[in-house]
Amino acid sequence: MIHQYQNNGYNIVMDVVSGAVHVVDQVCYDVIAGICKSDEADGFEACKGLQEGPGITAETLKEPETFQKLAAELNGRYSEEEIGEALRDVIELTEAGQLFTEDTYECLIDEVKKRKTVVKALCLHIAHDCNLACRYCFAEEGEYHGRRALMSYEVGKKALDFLIASSGGRHNLEVDFFGGEPLMNWQVVKDLVAYGREQEKIHDKHFRFTLTTNGVLLNDEVQAFVNREMDNVVLSLDGRREVNDRMRPFRNGAGSYDLIVPKFQRLADSRGQERYYVRGTFTRENLDFAEDILHFADLGFKQMSIEPVVGDEDDPYAIRVSDLPAIMEEYDKLAKVMIEREKEGKGFNFFHFMIDLDGGPCVAKRLSGCGSGTEYLAVTPWGDLYPCHQFVGQEEFLMGNVDEGIVRPEIADDFRSCNVYSKEKCRDCFAKFYCSGGCMANAYHFHGTIHDTYEIGCEMQRKRVECAIMIKAALAE
Amino acid sequence: MKHVKTLNTHTMNNSLKKGGCGECQTSCQSACKTSCTVGNQTCEQKK
Ligand code: SF4
Ligand code: SF4
Repeated sequence: MIHQYQNNGYNIVMDVVSGAVHVVDQVCYDVIAGICKSDEADGFEACKGLQEGPGITAETLKEPETFQKLAAELNGRYSEEEIGEALRDVIELTEAGQLFTEDTYECLIDEVKKRKTVVKALCLHIAHDCNLACRYCFAEEGEYHGRRALMSYEVGKKALDFLIASSGGRHNLEVDFFGGEPLMNWQVVKDLVAYGREQEKIHDKHFRFTLTTNGVLLNDEVQAFVNREMDNVVLSLDGRREVNDRMRPFRNGAGSYDLIVPKFQRLADSRGQERYYVRGTFTRENLDFAEDILHFADLGFKQMSIEPVVGDEDDPYAIRVSDLPAIMEEYDKLAKVMIEREKEGKGFNFFHFMIDLDGGPCVAKRLSGCGSGTEYLAVTPWGDLYPCHQFVGQEEFLMGNVDEGIVRPEIADDFRSCNVYSKEKCRDCFAKFYCSGGCMANAYHFHGTIHDTYEIGCEMQRKRVECAIMIKAALAE
Repeated sequence: MKHVKTLNTHTMNNSLKKGGCGECQTSCQSACKTSCTVGNQTCEQKK
């Protein structure tokens, strides 16, 4: 499977199955397009059928017919010599397993489905309550369609015990203190960290704690604790003052930006600008979100993430299909500025453009996705277990509780069976090994089943992968 | 090669031999909480 595209003056060819990425010149780009399967509108008529049978291999490429067809199609644009030369490069790459690589992963799917999973991460809903009233909050001001509640130390302890007991041989265990706003139940967070540190020694485990916070209650004491104990901290902020304050007001309507930004700046600096993210959401009210990301950079932040809001189509702020062209342009614009800044020595990380071409996770991980419902579970303040934070409060996904453990394993089985080959749309998607099949909560939200994808999200995901790779190409020069 | 510059030499299929060790992060945990991206994660084996 080949994906080729042009962005910012680069001709990029992805060999999806091997993960190899090539920057090619125009002649080579056109030659590959010519060889490629012609279900894309711009494929050449003469090459149709080339991929039938065993598919494109070095052998089929070497057949004189291939060259003749290409020469006929590209006649007038390139000399036969140029075409022949480009084709030789293509053959060389194919022989090296870096182009037209056959997809052999599908046979692994049974193994992926049957794999034994252990629980390795929990999202603890430490407080179903919040001191902000963000308009897009899927948790509905922290209350998750239910009552306000704080997790007790007892429930939290049982959750950590459950995690240790369910984690098999896995050494690193992740625990995210989430909400609502977890600082509204800060003492319990601290007590649970202490409990975790004590238990990890006994059971030969290691806890990696994360805190997600809106910053309202952040102070020196919290900062010192977080820097000592938390592997990662996620700081919620949407960008420019007017953007942030429109979507992230206090309950009385006042903006939160002025109170929060200085605290976040201090925290980020105190961590050496590492192991944290400033995390925002963009909506159709700020489709120029690249400005918000650059605003973060101008505030001195180095690690950031801004994501599209997910909302019902009739929400005024939800992203619609008609917004996509503007969003694509915005990603392009951001990518270009990031290259400039990087070259000026003022670079920063945008989470969704981070891609590791040389290493990155193994194929098993890439096939199986986010881990919700199997490796990753969310715990409510009263100890109920759900597949992830976004399913909390949806009773049909209630999987069990911290006292009894998983009582509905069939839910986990359903999540485990979900992978890039079980979804038709993912199977044919060039981004599948970077995306791993998307968010199941979104799929459920829009289609009523986790075995589907959220198309608007997919469009954006694919664009981000393209931009991320283009940035690599530009910086490799 | 005159027409091609390859950006990465390490390709994914090599990781098949090792299988999944399962020590890596769960995807949604790290920065986002509303989307899944695994392409940018690191493999614990290489640390
Ligand atoms: S972008 Fe969409 S179609 Fe592609 S792998 Fe991700 S979820 Fe599947
Ligand atoms: S289902 Fe979506 S929100 Fe839940 S863990 Fe997976 S990617 Fe994250």
